[in-house]
Amino acid sequence: MDDPVAKRLVDSIIADFPDHDPGKRPIHTVGIGVKGTFEASEVARTYCIAEHFQIKRVQGKRVPIPVTVRFSNGSGSPKRHDGWNDVRGMAVRFHLAGDRATDLIAMTLGEFFVRGVDEFLDFTKSARQTPVKRESALRKIGDLLSLMRPLPNPPPGQNQSGDAGTLDYANKHRFAQLAVFQAGMIGAPVSYVRAVYHAVHTFFIVGPDGVRRPVRFSWKPVAGVQTTKDTSKNPDNEYLQEELRRRLKEWPARMMLMMTIGEAGDALDDPTVPWPARRVRVVMGTLTLKKVAEDQVRDGEKLSFNPWRLVPGIEPSADPTLKARRDAYEDSRKRRGVTQCPFLPE
Amino acid sequence: MARNGTKTKAEGGTSQKGWFDWLGDKLDQWVDWLATTKPFAFIAGRILVPYWAWRTPVKRLEGGPRPSVQPGDNVQRMMNLVMPLKDKSAVGRALAALAIAQNKDEIYAGLDNVGTVHFARFVIVDDNICMFSVYDGDFSNYIRDFIVTIGSVFDAVVELVEGGEDVIPSAKHVEKFIDWVHDHDIYQVSDVATDILRDQEEANGDAGAGNDDLRLLPRKLILQLNVNRNVSLGSGYRAYPGYSAAQVRQQFGVGW
Repeated sequence: MDDPVAKRLVDSIIADFPDHDPGKRPIHTVGIGVKGTFEASEVARTYCIAEHFQIKRVQGKRVPIPVTVRFSNGSGSPKRHDGWNDVRGMAVRFHLAGDRATDLIAMTLGEFFVRGVDEFLDFTKSARQTPVKRESALRKIGDLLSLMRPLPNPPPGQNQSGDAGTLDYANKHRFAQLAVFQAGMIGAPVSYVRAVYHAVHTFFIVGPDGVRRPVRFSWKPVAGVQTTKDTSKNPDNEYLQEELRRRLKEWPARMMLMMTIGEAGDALDDPTVPWPARRVRVVMGTLTLKKVAEDQVRDGEKLSFNPWRLVPGIEPSADPTLKARRDAYEDSRKRRGVTQCPFLPE
Repeated sequence: MARNGTKTKAEGGTSQKGWFDWLGDKLDQWVDWLATTKPFAFIAGRILVPYWAWRTPVKRLEGGPRPSVQPGDNVQRMMNLVMPLKDKSAVGRALAALAIAQNKDEIYAGLDNVGTVHFARFVIVDDNICMFSVYDGDFSNYIRDFIVTIGSVFDAVVELVEGGEDVIPSAKHVEKFIDWVHDHDIYQVSDVATDILRDQEEANGDAGAGNDDLRLLPRKLILQLNVNRNVSLGSGYRAYPGYSAAQVRQQFGVGW
C-alpha cells in the first residue's frame, strides 16, 4: 500500500528540481556504479555479529565480501554538474550469502538538515529552486565593510539554485544551521574516492556477547581528501566519472570503514547533532573498489538502496528521519520500477 | 534575462552581452579581487574591526575545558596555558627555559604521580611560556594534584609570569591558583563551527535570543579573536579517542 507520508516526501524533493526525469532518482540522480570487495577488520567481529563484519576463510585464505557501490552527486537534476558545490553520495551494497544483502548509505555531509518529516517538508519547500541572483558589486562591498563574507559567485551555467532558501531556513531554524553552513562550503571533490562519507544516522550494533552499542559509520578514503573549495570558476562539469574510470584502470581505490561508538546522552535520534570527537572509534573494515561496473543500468541506476536493508547484528535507531527514509526510498523505488526491498510488502 | 533586458543565448536570444553587463562583470571581478588585497586587509584590521568591536561589542569567551556531560568527555582533555612573561627579552625567555630545565626530574616524577596525564610539554611562543597538556578527569582536581606534586616547580615558572606573584606559593593559595590557571587556559573553540554563536549568546546572557544570521558568523569569529588573541581550534585529533591514560597503561601492562 502506498504510504502518503513517503509520497509527500518524494514529491517535495521532486518539486525542488524542475528538470526531474520521472524515470530517475528524485535526488542523487547522477551517479556511477562500481564493483569491489569488503574485508572486515580483525576487531570488527568483536563488536558486531553482522555477517559482513565476520572473517570468512576458505582453505585458510580470507574471502572478501563482494560489494556494489554507487557514487553520486546530491542534486536531483539529471544534468551532470560535477564541478558545482554539492553534497556527494556513496551507497554501498554488501552482497551476502544466499542472495541476501545489506546497504550502508552515506554522504559527504556530516549532519542532516532536519530532525523529522514535518521539518523535512518545510525545508524542501524553502529549498525550492529560484533564479540565482549574483550579488552585486555594491552589495559585496557592503558585505566586506560589515565583515561578512560576500555570497559566493554561482558557477558558470548555474541559473537556478536553492541556496538562498536554505540559508533563510537555517537562519530561522537553529538545528539546520550546521548542515547548511557546511553544505555551503562543501565544494566539489577532485574524485569520488577522495572524500569522507558519513552514514549520519545512529544504528545499534549487537556484539557476540550480546552487548548493544549505538554507532555511527563513516567511510575514510585511503587516498586522502581533496576538494575544490572555490567552485565559482569551475567550468569542468563532467570529470568525476571519467576520473574514477581512469583511476580504477590503473589501481584499486580503498576506503576505510570507521565506526564511532556513542555514549549515553549522545544524540541518538537526531541526525542534525554531531557526536563529540572524544568518542571511541573503531576500524571495521576496508573497502576495495576494483572497477566501474560494466552494466551501469543493472549495477547503478536500477539498484534500489535502502538504509533499512539491514542484517541481524545491526538495527536502526528511533531517528524519525531514518524511519521516513525507509518508506521514501521505497516510494521512489516503485516510481522508478526497480527491484523491491525484500523486507517491505508490495 | 540579462541585466539590460537583452536575452542571453541560453534563453534563445543573442549571445552578445550589453555594455552594462560587461561593466557589471568587471566591477564584480574587481570587488572579488579587492577583498584579497593588502590595502583591504589593512583597512579591515585597522578600521573595520575596531569599528565593529565598538558597535557590536563581544565578551571574551572564557578558557578552560568545555563542559563535560558524558563520561567520554572527561578523557583526553586539553589544557593550553599561555602565560605572558614579565621580562619580554631573550633573557626573560632564557630564565623561563632554565626554570623548566633545572626541574625536569621533578616535573616528570610529579606527572607520573598525577597519573592522569597523557602528554605535557612546556613551549615558549613569542613572549609567553606555555604549558600544553592532555589529561583525564576534572580540571580543578588536575590542578590540585599538580600543586601537590610539582607546585614548587610551577611556582618558579609562575614567578616569571605577569601577575604570577599574587598566586604563589601555590600551596598556600590553592583556589586562587586554580582560578589563575583557568584564566590562562585559552578558549577552546568548539568542534562544531556554529557553536561559536551559541557560546557568545551564553556569555552575553541572551541564549535563545534568536538573533541568527549565518552570514554574520565570520564577523562574530573575527570579533572574538579580537578580544581573545589565543584560542584552540577545536578539540584536536585523537589517535585513540575515548581511552584514559590509566586504561592505556592497563591494556599494555605498563601500569604503576
